[in-house]
Amino acid sequence: MDRQQEFVLRTIEERDIRFVRLWFTDVIGTLKSVAIAPAELEGAFGEGIGFDGSAIEGLSRVSESDMLLRPDPSTFQVLPWRTDAEHPGTARIFCDVHTPDGEPAMSDPRNVLKRALDRAAGLGYTFYTHPEIEFYLFKGPLERGAVPEPVDYVGYFDNVPGGTTHDFRRTAISVLESMGISVEFSHHEGGPGQNEIDLRYADALTTADNVMTFRTVLKEVAGEMGLYCSFMPKPLQAQPGSGMHTHLSLFQGDTNAFFEAGAQYQLSTTGRQFIAGILRHAAEITAVTNQFVNSYKRLWSGGEAPSYVCWGHNNRSALVRVPMYKPNKGQSVRVEYRALDAAANPYLAFAVLLSAGLKGIEEGYELPEGAEDDVWSLTSQERRALGIHPLPSSLDHAIAIMEDSELVAQTLGEGVFDFFLRNKRQEWAEYRAQVTPFELQRFLPLL
Amino acid sequence: MAVPPPGPGGRPAPGRRATGPALLARCGFDGAERALRLLEDAALREVLTAGREPAVSADADRLLDEASASLVRALGLTADPDAGLLALVRWCSGVVAGPDVEDVRSLLQAATEEEAAARARLLAVLGGSGALADHLVRHPAHWRALLAADPPARGHARAELLAAVGADPDADVPVAGRRDPAADGGAGQPEPVDALRVAYRRRLLALAGRDLASEEPTAAMPSVAAELADLAAAALEAALAIARSELPDGGAGCRLAVLGMGKTGGRELNYLSDVDVVYVVEPAEGADAAEALATGGRLAAALQRACSAHTAEGSLWEVDAGLRPEGKNGPLVRTLDSHLEYYRRWAKTWEFQALLKARPVAGDAELGRAYVEALRPMVWSASEREGFVEDVQAMRRRVESHIPAKDAGRQLKLGPGGLRDVEFSVQLLQMVHGRADSRLRSPNTLEALEELTAYGYIGRHDAAELDRHYRLLRSLEHRLQLHRLRRTHVLPTAEADLRRLGRALGLRATPVQQLEDLLRGTRRDVRRLHEKLFYRPLLSAVARLSVADAGLDVRLTPEAARERMAALGYRDPAGALRHLEALTSGVSRRASIQRTLLPVMLQWFADGADPDAGLLAYRRVSDHLGGSQWYLTMLRDSGAAAERLAHVLSAAELPAELLLRSPESVAVFADDDRLAPYDREQVVEAMEAAVQRRPETPAGSAAGPSPVLAARGVRRRELLRTSVADLVGLRDLDGVGRALADADDALLEVTLRAAVRTVERREERPLPTRLLVVGMGRLGGRETGYGSDADVLFVHEPVPGADEGQAQAAAQAVVAELRRSLSEAGPEPGLDVDADLRPEGRQGPLVRSLESYRAYYARWSAPWEAQALLRARPVAGDVAGLGARFRELVDPLRWPAAGLSEANLREVRRIKARVEGERLPRGADPLRHIKLGRGGIADVEWTVQVLQLAGAAEHPGLRTTSTVPALAAAVEAGLLDAADGAELRATWEFTSRVRNAVVLWHGKAKDSLPAQRSALDGVARIMGWPPGSAREFEEEYLRVTRHARAVVQRVFYGD
Repeated sequence: MDRQQEFVLRTIEERDIRFVRLWFTDVIGTLKSVAIAPAELEGAFGEGIGFDGSAIEGLSRVSESDMLLRPDPSTFQVLPWRTDAEHPGTARIFCDVHTPDGEPAMSDPRNVLKRALDRAAGLGYTFYTHPEIEFYLFKGPLERGAVPEPVDYVGYFDNVPGGTTHDFRRTAISVLESMGISVEFSHHEGGPGQNEIDLRYADALTTADNVMTFRTVLKEVAGEMGLYCSFMPKPLQAQPGSGMHTHLSLFQGDTNAFFEAGAQYQLSTTGRQFIAGILRHAAEITAVTNQFVNSYKRLWSGGEAPSYVCWGHNNRSALVRVPMYKPNKGQSVRVEYRALDAAANPYLAFAVLLSAGLKGIEEGYELPEGAEDDVWSLTSQERRALGIHPLPSSLDHAIAIMEDSELVAQTLGEGVFDFFLRNKRQEWAEYRAQVTPFELQRFLPLL
Repeated sequence: MAVPPPGPGGRPAPGRRATGPALLARCGFDGAERALRLLEDAALREVLTAGREPAVSADADRLLDEASASLVRALGLTADPDAGLLALVRWCSGVVAGPDVEDVRSLLQAATEEEAAARARLLAVLGGSGALADHLVRHPAHWRALLAADPPARGHARAELLAAVGADPDADVPVAGRRDPAADGGAGQPEPVDALRVAYRRRLLALAGRDLASEEPTAAMPSVAAELADLAAAALEAALAIARSELPDGGAGCRLAVLGMGKTGGRELNYLSDVDVVYVVEPAEGADAAEALATGGRLAAALQRACSAHTAEGSLWEVDAGLRPEGKNGPLVRTLDSHLEYYRRWAKTWEFQALLKARPVAGDAELGRAYVEALRPMVWSASEREGFVEDVQAMRRRVESHIPAKDAGRQLKLGPGGLRDVEFSVQLLQMVHGRADSRLRSPNTLEALEELTAYGYIGRHDAAELDRHYRLLRSLEHRLQLHRLRRTHVLPTAEADLRRLGRALGLRATPVQQLEDLLRGTRRDVRRLHEKLFYRPLLSAVARLSVADAGLDVRLTPEAARERMAALGYRDPAGALRHLEALTSGVSRRASIQRTLLPVMLQWFADGADPDAGLLAYRRVSDHLGGSQWYLTMLRDSGAAAERLAHVLSAAELPAELLLRSPESVAVFADDDRLAPYDREQVVEAMEAAVQRRPETPAGSAAGPSPVLAARGVRRRELLRTSVADLVGLRDLDGVGRALADADDALLEVTLRAAVRTVERREERPLPTRLLVVGMGRLGGRETGYGSDADVLFVHEPVPGADEGQAQAAAQAVVAELRRSLSEAGPEPGLDVDADLRPEGRQGPLVRSLESYRAYYARWSAPWEAQALLRARPVAGDVAGLGARFRELVDPLRWPAAGLSEANLREVRRIKARVEGERLPRGADPLRHIKLGRGGIADVEWTVQVLQLAGAAEHPGLRTTSTVPALAAAVEAGLLDAADGAELRATWEFTSRVRNAVVLWHGKAKDSLPAQRSALDGVARIMGWPPGSAREFEEEYLRVTRHARAVVQRVFYGD
């Protein structure tokens, strides 16, 4: 029993926690939860809690369905929204999934990210991420099939006096902060009912855990207020989609490896190679960073969403943006990846982004010229002349490209890679079988 | 040569006095002329004889005067007389003007025993350590340190060194005096760091003198090493006093203890190595904790500087605090609690192993003791930690397998049979047994060895030998380092350096040769002893007869034996010990040979993937063969045979099973010749001979055991030979495939002959038809795997004039008899004969006439049949005649002149797609099915086969039944891209090897990559991967097959 485990057990006693939720994530990024009594937690630290992994998508093969959950004591948090005088306290703790042999399961997304981070550590790097998460707030309750109604109809940065949105953001942020998740920034976004909350930067594993917690917290808070919160990439046809622009940086010890005083945009060679890696492999990793059929509705609807593989300094139409440098803030040099959407599995997405960037560093990729124009406003011939390629146009397209990607196979591990592709092919097949309102509207009167 | 006059005193020898040059040569001087010149040096003459007469006579004999001759003889006992004489001359030039001249003269003339001994110490240093000689030249008065014959009391060094830096040795917290220019007129008083160095070397001089002049260096070695550790501890104390003197209040708020680790902690230090330490800090009473920690950090840093900094007086050594928590990245000092927390939470097994040697050496003694008391128990509970066995295994491997390093042969420390071997062996045994037995916890290697012996964990005789070797290696290391006071463990290569070293150990006849011989023997013994130390006492735990009768001088308790077996990696130690007992008990010759063999075999089993299974199989074989003379002789006389047997039995199940069916086959382990492949005819002969030895069943009587059983036994032996050759790396995939196919061919041949005889006897007339067995599939391609069954077609051809109906009936009777005798139950494994590829499949007759085949293929032949025929190879029966005619029949089918039509290609693709969906067993994971799964064996073979169907008519190279040659031919013919060809070939070979390895591991036919980690690990190890690579191997398998599938998708399916 180590110190941190002791701390958890003591806290449970002191705070009168009656349930501990063991959290883990399936390959698609759905949060899974098993509640246990506090008395079982000590055993869980020691030997793990067994469960049938074959019931969880992509987690295990039928032949070895028994899996173990091993709680990570450093992620212990009391859940604020489940606790009041009547309800006994509830806490959550993230778990690593292990095989019955006691080895980390290759198919656990958390393990996928850990492996990628280990590889970075082998090269002397730690990987930090800082996500800006967009989402829509709709009036509840959710009606299946109906077009949802946003809670308000204001726009970017608008202040909504006395509005529900404001209350919602305030409550959500205070819950997040009480769970140790620091919020950097929050504001109303472009779409009606659309908001953005930015999390403070942290190491990628913590950030990924935080993103999972964030989604749960927001949905809980929304539910309590009679609202519905959605991270769907493109819920409203005529309105902007919800992305998760993510700032990425690599540190070597205490120094930012992307920073070089006096270089263009203060961006070091390492930083340039990292961007080059992400650009070169962008199409391969898109099925992971934008994993649903709906994701491509966002990517290809213009506006803030990037559809073309290029980078730019402060260019909001570029896939990778190098934000404006603030003098004397060498530590804050970073690159922003703008394709990621709010429904991605953060563990897998961070893992493939990191691997692509590291590949650029290891192989010493040359960074192409940055784009200065609004890429959307160029003609396709102009883009071709500039060597700017499009991202995949659909999930089907993205899967086909990913199938040939060694980088993704290596990063996810062969098992997750295979499962992910099968799962997404299935999704595409089901989607393709749909007869949409578009078709009925346009073709039924005609044919 | 002139006869020399007798010497004045008659000493040393009666009779002739040697000439100067002769004496010098006899005493080991290299350059007589130079020595003679040096002996005439004015300062030396003055000091030695007050300069009254020349040392060398003026005549041709050039005799030495008495004083010089005596000096020369004394120098002759040193490591390097030439260097010693030169150093002496240099030193004398410093003495000559000083007040010590009279005393030194008396010493050098050595009138008394004491003076002679002191002179020996002086000259030993001058001739044995250039660096200390230089020190003496620099500080001529330090010669008095050499006068003491005995080591000083233990606390003396601390007091002396503290006094040297101006600190009060009796103070609770000594602080060095600060340099006060006024006190001494501003001159003469050295900086404390310089004073420390000078005082340290003065004591080192005294110690080296005693060590180098010692009659028996190995006897003195432990006390020398202990004294060196105490001297280092004293220096650390003085350095701490200096560090304190640099802080305004002497760092009074901070209690600091220095813990010696490594050789310092074990009181077994070298002359020059890094001194390993760890610091622990606490606030003094009433002091602020944070401030104390900061002060502690400053003190520790200053302490290290005081020792390692290079000043006018040089440097002592590096202080290495790298063993502290978190190593180089961790803070230099921690509080006791912080140490405890680290070891509770984070520490690894090797860190606990390092803690074994922690001992307070300087600073706050009470705090140091508290540290040891708090941490020592954790060392011993370390063995309850997760992964302890794996860690110990890894440590053991490190001891037993030396990574060939640069200079490995000249490394005293790390090379095979070097010091590290001894130290690790002892520590390993301490870690394994020290938890249960608290008497085994000395931090000192030789003391620990003694404890292990005294309490019955290792044999007395072995321990004594190890003790002797360790002392020798250490003494040699000491002399190596003394020469220049350099931190080195590598033997020099220059003749002169080796000569000096040998002489320093007292090897004066032929120093270089003697030294090399001694070292070679020592290293060999140390390697051997490690194994005896660790494994042999295990026998004593199970020996029922007296320990002495068993040739042992130790009795290990059963608990200790189980601990040790578990640490070796045996999963069922109690079971393993029972096998050991069964094998070694009794007074028979057999038991006594097993007692000699088993210690080392236990180690070989432990190196395998499944030690328990290996030992069990070995026991069963040995039980069965009992006292067979040849078996015991083979194992005893051929170390290679025993090692091979242990290796194979603990690596895989299949050979163990094959061997146990007839343990006599163990003879195949004897040497490489017995594993050499036999060709088909040799196997046929062996089978025929075996069959002949069995009485055939009389005609008409009830069917007894078929004589074919004997032939099946020969095939089993071939399987065993092949699997063993495979596992020990003597046979590659192709060789395995051929050998197994030959064995199947031969068995089919011999069985067919027997079946014909049986039918002929039953029907009482010659068979009216000729028979042929055609091998298909892997057998046809001579690519048989361990788990393969035999795909065949049966063909017959009536003799001229025979009745067709009777011929068909006779052929059917023969085939039925053949199948019966290959599948009937019996002690020898049968052969599954599968004829499903025949015309009309299972609905068709088992055997057809050639004409019937002709008629069938003319009318019906489907593309899949042509594809199957690509691998058709006549294997038994009338191969030359009927076989050739069968070939003529099928060649135009399988190598169609028109190639492969679009329609037929489509049909082959469709069937393949269907097979992928349907043939896979229920529940099998397509990613992991080696034969039919994604990128598996079938994927590659089907791809090659469509290329053959399409191009064999045009490209004769494609007319082969084997996969790899066909792939090569397809590339050659331009039908397949070279890169694709290489990829398909590599994958096919990889998956085929995996499939063989899976069958070897499980001992039965299996087609899926195992999911269980231990099995996966075993398979990976058979494939040549290092232990513990199960996951990596699995990823590699999935990656390789995924790539191959992409090629198949493109080439076969045309995507």
